[in-house]
Amino acid sequence: MASMSSVPRPKHITDRYKIIGFISSGTYGRVYKAKGKNGHVGEFAIKKFKPDKEGEVGYTGISQSAIREMALCTELSHPNVVHTVEIILENKCIYIVFEYAEHDLLQIIHHHSQPNRAAIPARSIKSIMYQLLHGLLYLHRNWVMHRDLKPANIMVTSKGEVKIGDLGLARLFQRPLNTLFTGDKVVVTIWYRAPELLLGARHYTPAIDLWAVGCIFAELLSLRPIFKGEEAKMDNKKSVPFQRNQMQKIAEILGLPTKDHWPLLSSMPEYAQLANLSAGNSRVASPQTLHKWYWNIVHMNKYPSDPASMTPGKEGLALLKGLLEYDPQKRLTAEQALQHPYFTDDDKPGENCFEGSGIEYPLRRVSQEDNDIRTSSLPGTKRSGLPDDSYGGRPAKRLKEA
Amino acid sequence: MAANYWESSQRKYWTFSKKGLADVRRAQESEPANKQLIATYPLPERRLLNIYFHLQLAKLAKRMSVRQQALATAQVYMRRYYTKVEIRTTNPYLVLATSLYLACKMEECPQHIRIVVGEARQLWPELISSDTSKLGECEFNLISTMNSQLIVHHPYRSFIDLQTTFSLVQEEVSLAWSAINDHFLTDLPLLHPPHVVAITAVLLAVVLKPTQGNLQSHAQSLQTAMSTIAVPPSNTAPTTAQARIQKLITWLAESSVSIEAVVDCVQELISLYDVWESFNEKQCKEQITRFVKALALDK
Ligand SMILES: Nc1ncnc2c1ncn2[C@@H]1O[C@H](COP(=O)(O)OP(=O)(O)O)[C@@H](O)[C@H]1O
Repeated sequence: MASMSSVPRPKHITDRYKIIGFISSGTYGRVYKAKGKNGHVGEFAIKKFKPDKEGEVGYTGISQSAIREMALCTELSHPNVVHTVEIILENKCIYIVFEYAEHDLLQIIHHHSQPNRAAIPARSIKSIMYQLLHGLLYLHRNWVMHRDLKPANIMVTSKGEVKIGDLGLARLFQRPLNTLFTGDKVVVTIWYRAPELLLGARHYTPAIDLWAVGCIFAELLSLRPIFKGEEAKMDNKKSVPFQRNQMQKIAEILGLPTKDHWPLLSSMPEYAQLANLSAGNSRVASPQTLHKWYWNIVHMNKYPSDPASMTPGKEGLALLKGLLEYDPQKRLTAEQALQHPYFTDDDKPGENCFEGSGIEYPLRRVSQEDNDIRTSSLPGTKRSGLPDDSYGGRPAKRLKEA
Repeated sequence: MAANYWESSQRKYWTFSKKGLADVRRAQESEPANKQLIATYPLPERRLLNIYFHLQLAKLAKRMSVRQQALATAQVYMRRYYTKVEIRTTNPYLVLATSLYLACKMEECPQHIRIVVGEARQLWPELISSDTSKLGECEFNLISTMNSQLIVHHPYRSFIDLQTTFSLVQEEVSLAWSAINDHFLTDLPLLHPPHVVAITAVLLAVVLKPTQGNLQSHAQSLQTAMSTIAVPPSNTAPTTAQARIQKLITWLAESSVSIEAVVDCVQELISLYDVWESFNEKQCKEQITRFVKALALDK
């Protein structure tokens, strides 16, 4: 029950936080590292949205994705989802204050992919996957699709807790009277984009997030994106191009999807495109198979065949296959994935993904060049007040970031 | 969240006990600055204002073909906002248009800010500024006042499930649907969980079904309906209607829904239909215009 409360006293960002430095310039704003002030203890990441058009003095309306992110952030609470401390609206700006995460998966993968470095320990990977799937299960149970899972958006705290971040593209998928068809034309950074999206599906499901989890699993093992396609650019604002190269990359490993295996395949808008995908591409015609890809990686990255704690093993492959399943209806759900023998057999996942690894990861880089959260100008936040801001910018931009 | 009302901000922060809600309002009304305003600018009682706002919102929504769900969310935003802010310190037309603008974004049917302002200007040219930044500013206040808790759970979803459980026929469905739509004019969205409202709507539809006409004309039969719940039908050979009412009563008894809550919902609706009789659109409009103009809130 709500308690008696009068109008909240406006909070001022600078009364509550001391900015330590600047972390990143995202698509919708900037992220700063901060320390609590005046008895408010801890480290925080503050995401600042500036809703105004560049140079505009007045209020122009808050973008739909900022609205979604704010609403979801206040509503959601789970140990494997980045915790939102508070949201402050002040001076035409929106500040979302998150708990601070020292690492993220992109950074961890980078660290291991330096020459002469060993692969990510199998136990760490298992713990990461387990926590990631728990966070995702929570989101899906609450009818939230993330839609933009990728290593850069998966945060890891210094205590080895994995937390799903960046709900900027997340959406509720059970708003009655509403299809997911309207609005967003492009979702999910291309390398992690599910085949049904590539084939133009209109009513997509939470299964798209599990495809992305499969891609992330593969990347944790191999230290590079498994399907590293080149994005076909949008030529005009009306039509979204078929992501031919991305689909090819997938088919080079998994082979082309078939109607036998994926009954609804032929009803996909871009189905016809599949027919000529193997033209001039012998690798699509005779794909590597996930089996070969996997054992090759296990071998190259020197995972031993025993003991269970040291290797992702054959259950790792089985889980990967279940996630990188073409037919979204057959793909594992978050719940099913968590029941997979990979997690339930011999070596159970730990709660701290760094446990026993002894690896020191570099701290998140914080720059000092822009320390004034109140005044800084914001490149890359031009879109605002549009009915839907899902067009353009984001995926392409993210591709560059990755 | 849709699946988890129990963990939602709606339940935690926006569902009040009757006393709690009355206290919040009393505290607001007794603030010195507000006391003066309230004395100077009398307004019709809250439900009549709600009816008026609803009619205005519906007009605006219709011009932009906004769906019912967004309209419902906008109504809840207004209700929440005015538990924290004295209405006479705001331009209700601006709050109304902004609520709808924000609700449309939340319910995935966004409208451009210029369209909303343009349409609002068509409806209330004298009362709302053509400056879109006013609406943008109001949006900021609205979100801030609601602590960014923008996800609203409505009875529609539970109702869709119940509709199947009790095999409602078309006329019952529309009767229940209008009961749900009407509950937004009362304090019920701030007092009861959406599924309680949904089951109330089903109950009303099943009990009242044989008669014709709309709910307003049914205040009397509603009273009868309530006595039906209190005293289950005797062993005389039950008609199909009675059998269904029986099923509902059994269902209610087995559910965790409290009968008192359902009774309370029915009472609120009855008294809504009672005050509706005295609704005078012109008077509402004049009284609102008076303080908006006098305090230059439309600027
Ligand atoms: N909780 C956090 N702790 C530390 N750094 C964070 C946190 N959240 C985001 N960041 C950093 O800011 C970057 C951008 O954040 P993100 O939420 O992905 O914004 P955008 O949607 O603008 O890309 C992330 O890639 C990460 O480097």
